[in-house]
Amino acid sequence: MYIEVNGKQVFATTGGKPFDCARPVVVFLHGAGGDHTVWNLQSRFFAFRGYSVLAPDLPGHTNSAGPPLASIEAMADWLNDVLEALDCRNVSFVGHSMGCLVGLELGSHDPARLRSLSLIASGLATPVNDALLGAAKNNPDAAISMMTSWGFGAAGHYSRGPVPGNAMIAAGQMVMRGNTPDALHADLSACNNYANGAEAALLVKPHVQVIVADNDRMAPKKATDKLIAQLPNPEVAVIADCGHMVPQEAPNRCRKLLRDFIFKHNPATQGS
Amino acid sequence: MSRFLNFDTLSLHAGQVVDPEFGARAAPIYQTTSYVFPDTDTASSIFNLERGGHAYTRITNPTVGVLEQRIASLEGGSAAVCTSSGMAATFCAITAILGQGDHIVASTQMYGGNISLMKNTLPRFGITTTFFDPTDPDACRAAMQDNTKLIYGELIGNPGLDILDLEAIAGIGAEHHVPVMIDATFNTPYLCRCFDYGANMTVHSVTKWMGGHGVAIGGVVVDGGNFDWGATDKYPTITGPYAPFSGINLWEEFGPSAFATRIRAEAMRDIGPSMSPMNAFLLLQGIETLSLRMDRHMANTQELLDYLSNHEQVSWVNHPSLPSHSSHELAKKYLPKGAGSIVSFGVKGGRAAGKAFIEACELASHLANVGDAKTLIIHPATTTHSRIDAEALEAAGITEDMIRLSVGLEDVADIKADFDTGFRAAKRVAAS
Amino acid sequence: MGFRTRQIHAGVKPDPETGSILTPIYQSTTYVQPSVDEYLSKGFTYSRSGNPTVKALENKLADLEGGVDCACFGTGMSAVLATMLAFLEAGKHAIVSDVAYGGTYRLSTKILSRFGIDYTFADTSDPDNVAASVRDNTAMILTETPANPTMKCSDIAAISEIAKKAGAVHAVDNTFLTPYFQRPFELGADISIHSTTKYMDGHNATVGGAVISNSQEHADAVRFIQNSTGTIMSPQVAWLTLQGCKTLSVRMDAQSASAMAIAEFLEAHPKVRQVAYPGLESFAQHELSKRQASGFGAMLWFEVEGGVAAGKKLMDNIELWTLAENLGSVESLITHPVTMTHADVEPEERARVGIIDGLVRASVGLEDTEDLIQALADALEAV
Repeated sequence: MYIEVNGKQVFATTGGKPFDCARPVVVFLHGAGGDHTVWNLQSRFFAFRGYSVLAPDLPGHTNSAGPPLASIEAMADWLNDVLEALDCRNVSFVGHSMGCLVGLELGSHDPARLRSLSLIASGLATPVNDALLGAAKNNPDAAISMMTSWGFGAAGHYSRGPVPGNAMIAAGQMVMRGNTPDALHADLSACNNYANGAEAALLVKPHVQVIVADNDRMAPKKATDKLIAQLPNPEVAVIADCGHMVPQEAPNRCRKLLRDFIFKHNPATQGS
Repeated sequence: MSRFLNFDTLSLHAGQVVDPEFGARAAPIYQTTSYVFPDTDTASSIFNLERGGHAYTRITNPTVGVLEQRIASLEGGSAAVCTSSGMAATFCAITAILGQGDHIVASTQMYGGNISLMKNTLPRFGITTTFFDPTDPDACRAAMQDNTKLIYGELIGNPGLDILDLEAIAGIGAEHHVPVMIDATFNTPYLCRCFDYGANMTVHSVTKWMGGHGVAIGGVVVDGGNFDWGATDKYPTITGPYAPFSGINLWEEFGPSAFATRIRAEAMRDIGPSMSPMNAFLLLQGIETLSLRMDRHMANTQELLDYLSNHEQVSWVNHPSLPSHSSHELAKKYLPKGAGSIVSFGVKGGRAAGKAFIEACELASHLANVGDAKTLIIHPATTTHSRIDAEALEAAGITEDMIRLSVGLEDVADIKADFDTGFRAAKRVAAS
Repeated sequence: MGFRTRQIHAGVKPDPETGSILTPIYQSTTYVQPSVDEYLSKGFTYSRSGNPTVKALENKLADLEGGVDCACFGTGMSAVLATMLAFLEAGKHAIVSDVAYGGTYRLSTKILSRFGIDYTFADTSDPDNVAASVRDNTAMILTETPANPTMKCSDIAAISEIAKKAGAVHAVDNTFLTPYFQRPFELGADISIHSTTKYMDGHNATVGGAVISNSQEHADAVRFIQNSTGTIMSPQVAWLTLQGCKTLSVRMDAQSASAMAIAEFLEAHPKVRQVAYPGLESFAQHELSKRQASGFGAMLWFEVEGGVAAGKKLMDNIELWTLAENLGSVESLITHPVTMTHADVEPEERARVGIIDGLVRASVGLEDTEDLIQALADALEAV
């Protein structure tokens, strides 16, 4: 679905069902260089279980008009505008990687509409090394290779996902290549510059779930432990044998965790 | 992992999760029609494309899935769907995006089955084809029409062995916003990964070099994931609502694997050209040695090219790795490890001598397949291309004295000795 | 649960990972171990020692036979061999039914005798003959009931008693009747042997064997031989046999009913000199058959008036029935034991045990009974 926010075209998939703000809403926000398709093994499930689903492309990503946003705070403001434009109440936010940082900002500033926050594969900050930042600027293909080779765990590298026939690394690379050329660099810079995580985490009001992958090299245990320590009473789950790209590498386990958490804290009253 | 796995490793390991129940090292053969669901919610999720999983072997099967994911991984594609034969793969791939009133631009140099499909079968359903000379990208551009929805070719042409200038053709596809589909059977991902040069999907007869042992018929469609279906409204089967799955928009939900998902959701469900689990298992064994076999195929081919080029009874030899071949430069570019193990050559003395050669060879088997571990020879004018009219035969570069050779993995000295016998017989015929 | 339910469900469960309703064919030599400490925690290491598909068949057969455990083998003969190796050794003595399958006779007299095992071939149709043959070193009694091809039966309960007193293992080759009709363990036997090639598969698709034990001690002994000698069943064969077993009772019922009708037809035919089928009242051990089995099976033999020449003529002329060596399949087969299955048995020995030269063995299949009888009638007409 396309909507207009602040005069710009924004795309979000609704998981195959029409969007209806009267229902509880699950918002899925992708990570750096990603898009809405990251969530296809989660979003459609919720859309057919009584929720209105919103998995937007950030500005400058796949179907949403650019330019890409320069900071995590700007992304949180933008997402808030999207939710406002669609009159979303009773929102469950699900973020992956960079999306989690946006979730922390959203959760600390605008808790009124938020019922729950699910943070997948993230710490309080996402420092990015100079080599990757430089590549993202000057040689995006190299940056995409670095990110996908580091990001995906064995399930990705060996094409061992549970969707018959699918090879997730190539798909992930195609999505990143489909973004506007400066999107990846903008995302990584925003991650690298974000310093408000620790403060934001303390202010998060809604129920929080943290999903950690034990072979995640982009959000390693040291980083996720800091996030967990700073949040008020988070529900923590560890997915074994999984790299950073949790929604694709372990879609069934990830969906089950989200389902159990969101069904509990933001139940859908209407059937599908 | 900090770097990507290499080809040989992927050919052994990709796509297979070691059996979690018993740890069986080889992929189990799931010779079953159907699957017990743990609960109704999982069942409905699978049927509604909310998650991966198995419901019925016509649509997916765990053993076939290993083969699909292994091939997708080797080819560098986003997804693969295996089919009961290479022709089924081509048919499903084309009909996933084309319908009545649509048009294909295709190479003249293709396997006879591909040509017949486009010339005889698809027109009955309103899909027409204009054929172009693969050595002339301008001919491809000139053949494009408003209703052209697909460019189709073989990287190594059959039987002329002209190499398609893939980057040039992909450029024409991009200009017109039309995907390029390559039948990559003759090159396999080991010799050339077509997506690296801009192809958007490949099809293979895995019966051939991929399987390698001539024991199972099978095909595969690989989605390159690199075509922006959403940039045009020409492809409603991908970007429009699909009624059987609550009006799903495959492009919106599956992005880079939308095309493969359409084949899975439509062709495998409604048409059902499914690969059998047993065939998938046999083909997996073949793929484990793909690179070893291809290296040997290439080495034997090179030796036989030297032998044939210097043989007094050979009137001509055709192979892209020969400097005399018009595609030699393209072969060096796209196929640096070798330009395939198909060679064609003419036997002095014409049709009768060619026939005598084939009949006198004992080691080389006279049959219509290619890409077997065993050396195969055939006379295309009377067999594989016999259903094609004289004009098309000429356009495809087939002469009456032509012998097509699929170089096998035998000791090359034995192949040469066998050909010596064949040439002696041909000489007697030519002399009489 | 009843036999028909168990023949379908015993030993197999849906694959936990994919839900595959059928046990996959684990065509794998080896099994990945989770860790050194968890070695064998999933039950399998190497497919000679055990294979999940073969195990599913073993579990099913153990259940159907009512035993403790089953070990499957590459052929029925390797099942017999494993049984003998498990319970015999140099200096030991075995009593074997004198009408046992020719292959069992050959294995005993030509091979295992070379390793110092002594055999007595006794007419086990009379338990007194068995008792009289027992020696101090008798370690095993092997009976086959009904026997191939004479159809001579052995009293399983009586011989089991004798074996128990002698401290010997009583192994019963239960191939002809299968556990659907005859359960040797309920009659006191220790071991049940099958050529699964026959009724278990039922479709002429595989060769295989099975040894089912009624005690853990015996089961361990057989398993040890299975792993040590490596005469194992392949996963593909096990998978096909698993499918065959699902219709065992249905095939046995239908084929036995057909056999009864055919036996009655032959018995009444003027050109037939004699018919042996346990279901016929004229059969010498009809009462024993009724007592120890719930069906009579689908094997019979008959002799045509005119001896060998007439028998051969019948087999050469008959339609529908196939001249082939197997038995127990859905295809009806007809054989001439003297020249085929029992050619290795010396003529004097054949004559002694009742394999007369004109004996024609019939394995009644699943075709329509009327068609089978009509084919026999036409062939007899031509004799």
